[in-house]
Amino acid sequence: MKRSIPLAIVMVGGILFIIQYFIPHQHSQTLFDYYTEWAPIVGAFALVLGVGSLSRLHSHKIKRKAKNWQYSYAVLIPLFLVPFFALIMPESLGGGMLETMGGARTTQGVFDFTYMNIQVPIQATMFSLLAFYIASAAFRAFRAKSALATVLLLAAIIVMLGQVPIGELLGKWFPKVGLWILRYPNLGAKRAIALGVGFGMLATQLKIIFGVERNWLGGAGE
Amino acid sequence: MLRKVPAMLLALLLAAGLAWAQAEDPPPAESPGAGETVEAVEEDMVMEEVESNTEPSAISATIGDGMISPGGIVVSDWPNDAGDALLVTFEPGSETGSENHTGYAIYRRTLGEEELVLVGTLDIDEETEFVDGYDPDFIVEPGVQYEYQVAAVYLSGAEVLSDMVMAQKVAGGQIFHTGKVRVLVGCVLFLGLILFYFHAAQRGVEMYLRPIAGIEAIDEAIGRATEMGKPILYVPGLSYISDVATIASITILGRVAKKVAEYGTPLLVPNRDPIVYTIAEETVKQAYMEAGRPDAFDKDSVFFLTQSQFAFVAGVNGIMMREKPATNFYLGMFWAESLILAETGSLSGAIQIAGTDAVTQLPFFITTCDYTLIGEELYAASAYLGREPKQLGSIKGQDACKGIIMAVITLGIILSLTDIIAGTDTLGWLRNLVTMPVVD
Amino acid sequence: MNIWEKMLNVDRRWIFLLIGIACIVPFFIPLGLPILPSAEVIGIYDHIEGLGPDNAIFVGFDFDPGTAAENMPMGVAVLRHAFARNIPVFVTAYTPLGQGMAAMAVEELTNESSADYFEYVNWEDWAAIREQGITDRAGIEEAWTAEGNSLPENARGWIFEGRDIALLGYLPYFHLVILGMSSSIASQFPTDIGGTPLEEMPMYQEHKSLREIDLAVTNAGSSACVAWITYGREKIGLPVAFGVTAVMATDYYIYIQSGQTVGQMGGLRGAAEYEVLLHDNGYSKEYGKAFVGMDVQNIAHLLIIFLVVIGNIAFFAGGFNKKTKLKGRR
Repeated sequence: MKRSIPLAIVMVGGILFIIQYFIPHQHSQTLFDYYTEWAPIVGAFALVLGVGSLSRLHSHKIKRKAKNWQYSYAVLIPLFLVPFFALIMPESLGGGMLETMGGARTTQGVFDFTYMNIQVPIQATMFSLLAFYIASAAFRAFRAKSALATVLLLAAIIVMLGQVPIGELLGKWFPKVGLWILRYPNLGAKRAIALGVGFGMLATQLKIIFGVERNWLGGAGE
Repeated sequence: MLRKVPAMLLALLLAAGLAWAQAEDPPPAESPGAGETVEAVEEDMVMEEVESNTEPSAISATIGDGMISPGGIVVSDWPNDAGDALLVTFEPGSETGSENHTGYAIYRRTLGEEELVLVGTLDIDEETEFVDGYDPDFIVEPGVQYEYQVAAVYLSGAEVLSDMVMAQKVAGGQIFHTGKVRVLVGCVLFLGLILFYFHAAQRGVEMYLRPIAGIEAIDEAIGRATEMGKPILYVPGLSYISDVATIASITILGRVAKKVAEYGTPLLVPNRDPIVYTIAEETVKQAYMEAGRPDAFDKDSVFFLTQSQFAFVAGVNGIMMREKPATNFYLGMFWAESLILAETGSLSGAIQIAGTDAVTQLPFFITTCDYTLIGEELYAASAYLGREPKQLGSIKGQDACKGIIMAVITLGIILSLTDIIAGTDTLGWLRNLVTMPVVD
Repeated sequence: MNIWEKMLNVDRRWIFLLIGIACIVPFFIPLGLPILPSAEVIGIYDHIEGLGPDNAIFVGFDFDPGTAAENMPMGVAVLRHAFARNIPVFVTAYTPLGQGMAAMAVEELTNESSADYFEYVNWEDWAAIREQGITDRAGIEEAWTAEGNSLPENARGWIFEGRDIALLGYLPYFHLVILGMSSSIASQFPTDIGGTPLEEMPMYQEHKSLREIDLAVTNAGSSACVAWITYGREKIGLPVAFGVTAVMATDYYIYIQSGQTVGQMGGLRGAAEYEVLLHDNGYSKEYGKAFVGMDVQNIAHLLIIFLVVIGNIAFFAGGFNKKTKLKGRR
């Protein structure tokens, strides 16, 4: 029962929405509108489960005095403090837009402050790690080990030079060839993978709708 | 020698591109939508500045000579909709050339009601047709009988009204969207093929699947972690459960968790999406039960980290550096964080198996991981691991679908070559056959 | 361990250090090399150039602070272009943090200390003009200056809230929001983020649904582009343009060739190209941040190519191409 009901829901829902796609009638549209209203609500409830999991994990760590348990406070305190501030200072929910617009700065909200001074720099730092890691990975992995790898290597160098103005100084044709690689050979390969992925998705979705694939229910497919 | 053929071909292609690029400027901008620009601008010239519920008679000033009312109003049902739009067409009258004639105003009322409502205006240089119902303030109800009146608007503010016309049609929703016939044919064809192979596999038809190194290495990687007594890190991607890559990843997680439960190896599954987290937890719990070790399941092994992309990466990287897992799995959907994850994992010395359908992230995984499942190989993983007939059948079905696409592409190449040589336009015919216009 | 092997097994922190230096130095010694705009970026520029106060566009700040270095200059450049041409702009965000990014972009363009800034006129400040029933752009500006307001010397123009810009912000499940906006923008965003009802805004009254919008530019660091294409372009024919990170750019050439987008800005280079177009056509006196950032890319790309070449020399000179494995890890 625990399995057959969700399976039935998926099967009926899946087939229904395939059919719905082809029917523009108002009843079909109403059904779709219902779905679009329900989906975010379900998602919002799931977030509660997520927060529950995070709180449980870190409170366990604190209770057990596990390794680095002190850091768990750094997770738990902001986790509850931020929504608390949002509740008592609703204006801080505005993302700080009104406070800073048009040069007419007034007070900064808590959200605005943490966003500008913590979240923005931290996230930018994380993303900027890519530059370092790309250099290191390129150094270790880009080897002209075979004829194919050599072509790949040459194409990479041309595209990299073509992307920056200095490449144009070195040779007028760098940007042109770089763009040509992006527009044609790159596109061909992308399309090939995209087609495979598309059919893979189609088959997986069919497997889910017809109950062949059941692992998403929890369990190892038995 | 044969093995070098693809490389030589690629090199030849590269040289051709180089020669081509030197010979001429980049292709003529491909300016997609260059035609659309004009269309869009024109479309927007629908002036709705006079959007008040003013009665037309109230604003009609003195009607001068040569001001003639529009006529021939025809109201038809807008096709392929939910019955919420009507198409109003009319004859412009004879004075369209007049400089003082600025446009048209379209009025509507429900049959039996007194009040007329201005539902839209058209500029003089637009076509004399109007889709009523797109304006959310003046919606068209299905099955309701309306009356229409069109006014020619002059510079002085004078409006010359046509006769009131009862709409020849009421709005109604259609049962089938005729613009989607090609999609339907494609659906029937491809779904049919996949279902056919499902059944063929069930009937016991032998199916060969080429070995995929990444999938075969999964057991080896779990074994390595067990030997080293270190945990296994499994990241089920950063996307939502609606993503097929996530579902495929959850399937593989089930298999991995079962093995892990048998060996008694610690498992860590950080999640970015709360729904994925709940499903991952259920999956791992179930796997432990199936392995006969429900007591060994640690509730804290599957956990939600954060929804923020880079905060999640920071969290997972922290786990890698602190816990030093012996094996890292990155299976599912990844974005810009892929290299940051995999390179950190490589720094920590773990054996890494990745798999994603995010094409742009594949190069990062290939350079930093020991094995990478490319694109659809990720979806195929569950079939490989389970070896259930239906699962195998689905893969064969996919191959058959790809065969059809390859045939169409080959046909396209032949037709375009024919077009170049013979100067015909046969490719256009194929393009029209397989592409779909804007549907709504 | 010979010199080649040592070279191949160099501690990666040395590489990190070199990249760090390559990223910092160009900020102090600018190169200012010329950048040639590509057809993909010109496509977006020309499209916006063909629009005016009677049209309207959407600009999506569909990225998190992580990719702001690449996406932000694109958003700023497109907004600058739209403001200069008095095109009404609806600003949205695909992610919660994108809303803050949008605010930062508007702040950058309206800050008195920045060059070529726009003077922001709050919704309440021009209420009297609205009460007179003036809603057209030229009329509003005329009435506003007639009230004794004069444009500061270094400002480029006025931005009237509700006429030139509506900050709609973030909503969850944004693909469904796009779908909903194809019928009515106000059904999804009844108010802007400041609480001003959309129904009262002149720009909304002239453009009530996505069907009446002439372009949606999505500056994205994730899958937002696909959502705009699927629910905007394919469903109602909304012209869509992309601003994507360099890593993602290769993914979206498919949509350019199929004619589903009017153009694409790829990474910092794409943003810099747009800035060059704005500068060369008199929309700004100075280039923006992306143009400056291209100096860093110049040096970083050269360094990475140098490292790859050195790596290969060591690989072949050390004869590792004949051995199956290096002694050290990788």
